[in-house]
Order: sequence, then structure tokens, then C-alpha cells
Amino acid sequence: MSLERRMLTRELKLIAARPGDIFKPMWFLMLVISMVPLALAPDSDLLSEIGSAMIWVATLLALLLNTEHLFQSDFSDGVLEQWLFLDRPLAWLVGLKLIAHWLFHVLPLILITPIAGIMLSVPTDVLLALLVTLVIATPALTCFSGLGAALTLGSSRSGILGVLVMMPLFVPVVILAAGVLIRAMDGSDTLPLLALLGAFSVVAATLVPIAVSAAIRLNIGGSN
Amino acid sequence: MGWRWFHQWGSPRWFYERAGRWQLVCGWLALTLLITGSFWGLALAPVDYQQGNSYRIIYLHVPVAFLAQALYAAMAVCAVVLFVWKMKLADVAMQSIAVMGFAFTALSLISGAVWGKPTWGTYWVWDARLTSMLILAFLYLGVIGLRAAIQDPDQAGKACGILVLVGVVNLPIIKYSVEWWNTLHQPASLKLTEKPAMPASMWVPLLTNILGYYIAAAYLILGSMRAIVLERERRSAWVRELVSRA
Amino acid sequence: MIFEPIDIEISELSCERDDRLLFKNLSMTLSSGQILRVAGPNGAGKTTLLRMIAGLFEIQTGAIRMNQSPLTECLEQILYIGHKPQVTKDLTVLDNLKFLTGSDDDHLKRALGDVGLKGYHDSLVKELSQGQGRRCALARLWCVESPIWILDEPYTALDVEMVKTLDARITAHAAAGGICLFTTHQPPQSLKYTTLELGHVT
Repeated sequence: MSLERRMLTRELKLIAARPGDIFKPMWFLMLVISMVPLALAPDSDLLSEIGSAMIWVATLLALLLNTEHLFQSDFSDGVLEQWLFLDRPLAWLVGLKLIAHWLFHVLPLILITPIAGIMLSVPTDVLLALLVTLVIATPALTCFSGLGAALTLGSSRSGILGVLVMMPLFVPVVILAAGVLIRAMDGSDTLPLLALLGAFSVVAATLVPIAVSAAIRLNIGGSN
Repeated sequence: MGWRWFHQWGSPRWFYERAGRWQLVCGWLALTLLITGSFWGLALAPVDYQQGNSYRIIYLHVPVAFLAQALYAAMAVCAVVLFVWKMKLADVAMQSIAVMGFAFTALSLISGAVWGKPTWGTYWVWDARLTSMLILAFLYLGVIGLRAAIQDPDQAGKACGILVLVGVVNLPIIKYSVEWWNTLHQPASLKLTEKPAMPASMWVPLLTNILGYYIAAAYLILGSMRAIVLERERRSAWVRELVSRA
Repeated sequence: MIFEPIDIEISELSCERDDRLLFKNLSMTLSSGQILRVAGPNGAGKTTLLRMIAGLFEIQTGAIRMNQSPLTECLEQILYIGHKPQVTKDLTVLDNLKFLTGSDDDHLKRALGDVGLKGYHDSLVKELSQGQGRRCALARLWCVESPIWILDEPYTALDVEMVKTLDARITAHAAAGGICLFTTHQPPQSLKYTTLELGHVT
């Protein structure tokens, strides 16, 4: 069995062993969405206007929540340091881990956003645009929050530091996605912006794993 | 042989002694420039025909905002030096620049808000420049927070270096996206109208102050770098000797 | 199987951590068939030295070369088992080993039999006792063919019988031309080894 398949199989088995890791962020997302009409007003016009943006921000937070400890347990069990002896570059393995994380942890989160959309009376075509932006943008977000997780690995009192450190870097992604949603709302062409968003995601997904692997190596070097 | 000067930078003691002298020069130079520039700008420069006297805050706001951005670039240069030449002094510089950078960013946000009240009628608008300054402040905070969370200074330095490099690649993208975002939405109706070119009697003191603030920043950074060097080298013989002499 | 001749040359290695000098100008050569115990009091730098040789800890001054080439090019020749669990608690014994070694099931089951974990293949590691968890991590010694073994505290939590089994395995590995470095606070009885004493730096 190739190392790549072993890696993905392992991720799947870990999910089977800890299903809560998938459900908690979804639960969080739905709770945040339920708070919006409570904090604002149950006015469906108002909600449909801000709904897609709220869902975007809530998904972003849920994603951060479940990526924060991406490498933590492997690091403290000493399994992560064994990756250095595997027959592949660390950045490649990190990339695989991030892909697996996106497939098994982030994608389910995206798949429930339509329910949130219905709850906030988001129109169908905007909802579709929302789904597309999330699918295109989340790989970049996953990579960046993975970097936050890796940078704070060695510090026991980091709390949500990884999230705080990485959040400012999400600005371009959030702005582009919001642009798509605004265009979808007034029915104009969203394709150029989606292409730009896609380009950002591709570049992030190729380069950030290198930074993540450097951060992991650094933390392994500093621990006993 | 031509590299001697470069390697000397790797010696904390050499740096500590030299930096003390440079600091003195920077301090007096900055003081002279700032007193001249500020007096000239605040008292002698003509009144702006649109904004009256309130425009005079540019003699603080503009230099500080310039510095806020330049210091992030300086931090990135330090990160490169740290990774390529493994020079620990670059890490010391990164540590002090992060704090100064945050201070200057905060100062530019505050002075901007104070300026905004008489000109726009409000302390804060989601203008492109203000927004990217705010993001910059968060980026600086991230670097400071990351360093504070990691105990070992070498490791903290490298982690911050990675963060700074990723940040500096993203910074232009953030800046352009924020500018684009601003045009996408209804632009702020309280926008400052395009001003005619400044007369020399306004911009010469501004230039003096910009130079003065840059040198003052160098003074502050050198000072904090010296303090950090002392702290990190506290067990070495030369620091003990220095302390016992004092 | 017999390993190709191998030598590890450590020259002028020094290490300072948190302002403390752990060891200074350490030089030695390890060659095929050698078993070396790194000894010394707590905090003497045993783990740090092992991690340096394993390429996990950055070398500050000095060098480590393997067959004349830099250490970083030979990492796949090393089997490192640190003092952390090295296994994932939420996975089964077999899945843990399968991920790390890539060996097939039969091979792994045989190795698990050797370390006395027969019948525990499908147990989760968190259901095992501490000693059994350690046996699971050590089972890699029976199914991976790396010439250089670096074992940090391999004897911790093992019973008398397993200590003997491990001694025999290390002896056989050295006889086949492998190198083994380990640390322990309980000197093993049935193992012939040389000792490197750390902790004499002032």
C-alpha cells in the first residue's frame, strides 16, 4: 500500500474513532446561524440580505475551530516526528494531511450550509454562489489555519493564538468571496471573481504546505 | 576579508557597544529634525484653505503611517537574513521592530481617527487605507503574540520569521483587495476631496518630520535591541562584567 | 539479512540548551555491530544527543556524518523510537503499525506475536496497558529493516520477559551488522554494550 493511501486510510479510521471532531464544528455553525435572527430580527427580507455573509463568516469560524488542533495530538504522541523518517518530503505529507482534512472535515461543513441558507431565507441562486465560493476558497483557508496550528504546536499556553495569528491573512479571500456573493445577488457575472479566488486557493495550496512543514520541523526540533 | 563587517554583526558584544554610539547620534539628529520640522509645520506653515488648522496633524500622521508600513518590510528583511545567514541579531531586530511597528500602526490609526473627526465628522470610516492599516495592526499583533507564546527565544524567532514571510507575501494582496473592496461597495460619501499640490512651505517641514521620525524609530529600535541583547546574553562573561562595573 | 557496512562519525559536537552546556566537543565513531548505551543523569542531554543523531534536533556546532555523507541524506536508514508513545491512541495496534511501516498484515502479525501482542491486533491502543502500548511501538523493530536504531528509553514499562526479548532482538540486530544506540536508567543484564557517559561538562 502506498504511503499516500496509508495516510488517507489513517485519516478515515481516525474519523471513525472520533466522530465528534466532524460534528462539533457543524453544531457550532448551526448554533451561530440560529443566533443571527435572535440577535437581529426575524425579518426575512433583512435576513436574506445579510444571510449569505453571515453564513460565510460562521463557516470560516467553524473551519478555524476544527483546524486549530490539526497536528496537536500527532505531535504530542510523537507520531508527527516519525513523518520525518518516511520516504517522502515533509511538505508533501503535510499537503496530504491538509487535503484529507479538507475532504473529511471541511467539506461536510460546506455541505450543511444550504440548510443554514434556508434558515436565513437566502435566495437559491445566491445560495448556489455561496456553495461555489466556499468550495473554492476553503482550501486556501484550510492551509492558512493549518499554518497557524503548526506555528503554535510547541507552546502549551497558545490557546486560540493560531487562529488570531492567521485570521488577518484571510482578508483577500473573504473580500473576493463577498464580491461573488454581491454580484450573484444583483445577477451579474461572477466568473472572473471566482477565477481569481480559485487562483488564490491554488497558489496558497501549493506554497503554504512548505511553510507548514518548516513550522513543524521547527517545533519538532525544539521538543524533547 | 570583505565579509568581516558582516560577521561582526553576528557578535552581540560588538553590536551592543557600537549601537550605543549610533543611538546617541540618532537621538540628537532625530531631536533636532523633529523640533525643526514640528515647529515649522505647526507654527510657521500656512493654514490650509479647506481644512483650516486641523490639517497640521499630517506632520504626525503621515510620517507615522509611512513608518508603520516600512517597518513590516524591514521585519521581513530581518526574517530573510535570519533564515539565510542564521544571524541571531536579525532575530533581535525582528523582535524590537514588531513592537515598534505595532506602536506606530496604532499611533497612525489614532492620529487618523483624531483627524477624521473634524474632516469627515466621524472617528472611523471603512476607508481602504484605514482598513488595511487596521489589518496591518493585527498582523503585527500576531507576530508579537506568537513570540510571547513560545518559550525558547531561538525557536520563537524562527516561528515569527515564518509568519512574517508569509505575511509579507500576503500584504500587497491584502492591500489591493481592500482597495478593490472599497470601490465595490458604495464609497464613503465623506471622502476627502482631491487636494491641490502642497506648496513647498507645507511639504518641506513634512519631509523634515518624516526623516526625523525615521531616525527616531531607528533610535528606539536600537535601544530596545540593546536591551534584548543584554537579556539574551545575560549569562555571558561580558554582560556580567558590564553589570558588575555599573 | 546482513546490512551493508556502515559508520557514523560524530565530530566536535557541542550542544547548549537554555543557556546550559550539555556536552562539548564530543567526538566518536560508531560502526557496524556496535551497541552503545548513552548514560548520564537526568538533564545530561541523552535525549538531545539521540535526537541530533536522528536528525530531529538541529546541530549547533560540530558534524555528524554517515558513511561520509551528511546526515540529512540518510534519514531513511534510521529507525527512531523516542520516549513519547509513538502510537496513536484512537487507532488499533495493527493500523498504527501499518501506517508507520507500510508492511503487509502477515508480516505485522508475526511481529506482534514476537512482542507478545498476539490476539491484540484489533484492540485500540488506548485499551492497552502502558507496557503493552510500549510493546506495540517496539514491534517496529521486528518488521522494519533499517540498519541504524535509535531508541530512547526502550525499556520503560516493560516486564522482565519483554526486556529479555528486546535484548535478544538488539543483539541479533548488531550481529547482522546494524548499529543500536539507546538510553536507559536500568542497565540491561543480558546485553553486551559500550557506554558513553554524558554530564561531565562544567
